[in-house]
Amino acid sequence: MATDPIPAASTRNLTKTYGPVCALRGVDLDLPAGRFTAIMGPSGSGKSTLVHCLAGLEQAGGGTVTVAGTELSTLDDDALTAFRREHIGFVFQAFNLLPMLTAEQNVALPLELGGRRLDAAARERIRDLAEVLGVADRLGHRPAELSGGEQQRIAIARALVTEPDLLIADEPTGNLDSVTSAEVLDHLRRTTDELDRTVVMVTHDPEAARYADRVVILEDGRIA
Amino acid sequence: MRTVLLVSLHAHGRRYAAAGIAVIVSVAFIVVIGVLTAGARAGLVASSGAPYRDADVVVDADPENSDPSGRPYPDVLDSAAAVALVERLGEDASPLGRVLLPARRADGTPLDHGTLRGETTVGPIAGGDALRWQTLITGRFPTGPGEAVVHVWDADSADLAVGDRVRVGEGTAAVDLVVVGLVESPSTWSQASFYVTWPQYLHWRDQPTWHVGSVAVRGDPGPLPAGVLATPAQVYVEENLARLTGGTDATALMLLLFAAVAVVVSGLVVATTFAAVFAQRRREIALLRCVGATRRQVLGAVCREALVLGVLASLAGTVAGAGLGYGLIAVLPSMDVPAPPVPWLLGGFAVGVLVTLVASAPPAWNAARVHPLVALRQGSTDDRGPAGGSAGGLLVAGGTVLLAQAMAGSDRIVLVVGGAAVFGGVLLLGPVLIPPAIRAAGALLGRRGRLATANAVRHPRRTATTTAALLIGVTLTAAVLTGSATWRTAIGEHRDTQLPIDVAITSADAPLPDELLDQVRATPGVADAIAVTGTVAQLPGWADPIPVVAAPDAARVARDGGAFARVPPGTIVIDEDAFRGPRHELSLRPGDPVAVAAGESRVDLEVVLLGGWGSAAVVAPETLARLTGSPEPRVLWVRAGDDADPLQLVDALDDLADAAGARIEDHLQARTAGEREFAVLTWSVLGLLSVSVAIALIGIGNTVSLSVLERDGEHALLRAIGLTRRGLRRMIATEAALMAVVAAVLGTALGVAFAWVAHVTVVLPILSRASLQVPWPALAAVVLGIGLAALIAGIVPVHRTAR
Ligand SMILES: Nc1ncnc2c1ncn2[C@@H]1O[C@H](COP(=O)(O)OP(=O)(O)OP(=O)(O)O)[C@@H](O)[C@H]1O
Ligand SMILES: [Mg+2]
Repeated sequence: MATDPIPAASTRNLTKTYGPVCALRGVDLDLPAGRFTAIMGPSGSGKSTLVHCLAGLEQAGGGTVTVAGTELSTLDDDALTAFRREHIGFVFQAFNLLPMLTAEQNVALPLELGGRRLDAAARERIRDLAEVLGVADRLGHRPAELSGGEQQRIAIARALVTEPDLLIADEPTGNLDSVTSAEVLDHLRRTTDELDRTVVMVTHDPEAARYADRVVILEDGRIA
Repeated sequence: MRTVLLVSLHAHGRRYAAAGIAVIVSVAFIVVIGVLTAGARAGLVASSGAPYRDADVVVDADPENSDPSGRPYPDVLDSAAAVALVERLGEDASPLGRVLLPARRADGTPLDHGTLRGETTVGPIAGGDALRWQTLITGRFPTGPGEAVVHVWDADSADLAVGDRVRVGEGTAAVDLVVVGLVESPSTWSQASFYVTWPQYLHWRDQPTWHVGSVAVRGDPGPLPAGVLATPAQVYVEENLARLTGGTDATALMLLLFAAVAVVVSGLVVATTFAAVFAQRRREIALLRCVGATRRQVLGAVCREALVLGVLASLAGTVAGAGLGYGLIAVLPSMDVPAPPVPWLLGGFAVGVLVTLVASAPPAWNAARVHPLVALRQGSTDDRGPAGGSAGGLLVAGGTVLLAQAMAGSDRIVLVVGGAAVFGGVLLLGPVLIPPAIRAAGALLGRRGRLATANAVRHPRRTATTTAALLIGVTLTAAVLTGSATWRTAIGEHRDTQLPIDVAITSADAPLPDELLDQVRATPGVADAIAVTGTVAQLPGWADPIPVVAAPDAARVARDGGAFARVPPGTIVIDEDAFRGPRHELSLRPGDPVAVAAGESRVDLEVVLLGGWGSAAVVAPETLARLTGSPEPRVLWVRAGDDADPLQLVDALDDLADAAGARIEDHLQARTAGEREFAVLTWSVLGLLSVSVAIALIGIGNTVSLSVLERDGEHALLRAIGLTRRGLRRMIATEAALMAVVAAVLGTALGVAFAWVAHVTVVLPILSRASLQVPWPALAAVVLGIGLAALIAGIVPVHRTAR
């Protein structure tokens, strides 16, 4: 895997401190394109911090983060936001969806924020994504009317709608039972296999990690 | 972002209700002022412009090019030119002017009406019907010399009717006029009590006050002499109106001050509303940022929400204000329905939109700066921002120095600047000042108030802004209450020395009958009355003798404690107001020696001039003893009860005096008119301020209600761990009341302090003996009322949450 020529994303000597707390102490990580990488490690080891830095949601303390050939520290807030919108999809453990929008409006949100018209092609793509993720019949509902698994799959659809270079999921199954987890993980797997997306997922669950092509272990802010 | 905007307006719109009401009320306030000002202006046009209504041009003096000789007043027509013009144009000219002349009834008694005593004003009436601006009520217009129409109000107050005769003018100028009709004429600068034909008016041409101010002309005035100007009637009325509407404009400006206070207060309500609403939506906004909304997009979206609110509320306020304004015009006298005052309507609307945008800008800015990761964090939405503590402290310190300077130098401008600085500083200090104050107040409630107190101070800035809105209104109210109590007392004491006797019944001819005193004392509304004894004496050079009395027991009825009547021997105290009239000039000066003669006795005395009891001169009992050996009752001095109806009382006493052949002199009506005027002013100011207080109270209910929505989960938790529904309600209502009471108490303290400073700076230099009067009961009532109103404002959200 280290033989892959261009990684979809990589970090070099990435550090991050919160006051006295050292969350990351020099992380070198390559995420090969078109692969599914799982990040595991004990609580507080810096997994969330790492993916936040990868997504540009958190500024790196030191070192570099490169996604799709762009070094994130060279972008200002507006450019970073636009970059995130175009190139990175994000799925959180919970609270992924705006409660007052329908599922479909939530999925379309990144397109709308990017100033793209919601034309027939875009609607078609949303429909296809929903189809792949098995939530096509739930699009008209609001988040409160969806199950946890459905919410997560809508969140995945939202993350994929802009055809991002990198899909990041931070404990996407943390709140789900094993059956629903399996469904969501299956969809993430198919995202790499069928849509050829690069996926990185944080998880505590060895069972979940088994869906990935590769597992990276983080311990005390370093890759073990 | 459109979808997000529309959907979130739909979802959160109702939370803006209170902010919307606040904006509606203050916009309506401005618009009402505008419509009323326009109405008053229209009323002025209708009355002042009446003489020119049917004229084409107005001929008056050319201010640029004229020779002031030949004219009694600087800005009226040259008399010769005016006469020539009117003679030439005949029925197409309506001369406008007036002359002040002595007037007597057919029986020779002086004609009193309105404010004129023994005098009246006479004006010319147009030769042709078309230009006559007076409206005939009964009778007919005069057709020749010796005939006049009288203004109905004057006819009423002088008791004149059609057919009565009046002698106007004196000596060779005297003319007997027969009243042939009654007219109504709008109040304008050419309004007179009597109107006569032009030839009759010319009869008094040599009188000093005779003049023709302008001539309204129908058609072409023809060639005009130099120094005379013809102006189209429309233009003339509008130009002259500018002078007249100065008063209306000043009133509008004063009212706008109160509107400005209301606008500031509603701005604060808007600011807290948006702060609270955005705080509730922090996670949503952060999520938007995560998903790819730029800061600018977020800012744009929240600003557009504010814009929608501002536009809708301002529109509603404009419509409501116009409706209310036109409604008031329909019922208010001396107003006329104006064309819509477009600048005012647009201005009110713009102010509403602007205030909403400005007030929502800081919370919107904060919202746009939310870190995307907030979406992932559970929990706190505390708005700990930078408090304006140091700036506030500086302002308070600087302002205090200025106030001290103002007090030392009696400088009103420094007073206003210093007051504004201190108040602005206190508002800035709010986040530092108010939470501890609320905690202290909450501590008084003991354990039961602990949760409410903690909740009330958990968003220090939001709490401070909410309280600030109320603080403004309460401070001003307390200052006005204290100031007016102080001023009223001071003026009251001043008035007591100026007008010591309410009513005097005086007889210059025969002594008063003994039973009159009992009759007066038995009159309803009379608190006490005394008979004052003396004699009638002649002052050198005076036409008629006057009563001269000694009043050792004046203290029983005099409002100044009888001080005016404690006369040292060798002096005579004369009421200068009683002898000064339009035709009288008091010939005496203070300190003059006079030889007072009563019968055979003559006493040399020194003159002291005071005022406010009537036409009996007062001397010491020893002096009186030298004038007469047998003093008789000459005067009754009456003290009215506090709840007496002045009109009824004076009427009743007038009848008694008439029957006894005596004259009544009344100061009661002047006193009550002064008091009533002041009360009207005070209540108007309080009424205008109450608008701001009401908006602020809506704001408190709103903040509590929004916080309650925010804490839904917590409340569910509290209920789950055993807080009863009533307990929950009490907690939330207590929270609202805590904020309100702290604002009310702090505002009252500030208001009283400001009133004290103003008292030292403004009142003391004028009335040095005035002392500060703090109306504690009224202030306590305000605090209590605000606390109760806040409890009620807190109950509404409680109902929603405690279900
Ligand atoms: N915003 C923050 N402020 C201060 N410290 C933080 C912050 N975010 C993370 N940390 C600290 O950084 C360290 C790494 O946190 P991180 O959230 O990355 O751990 P994690 O591996 O995701 O843990 P978990 O498996 O429990 O989610 C922890 O010690 C945490 O306390
Ligand atoms: Mg984590």
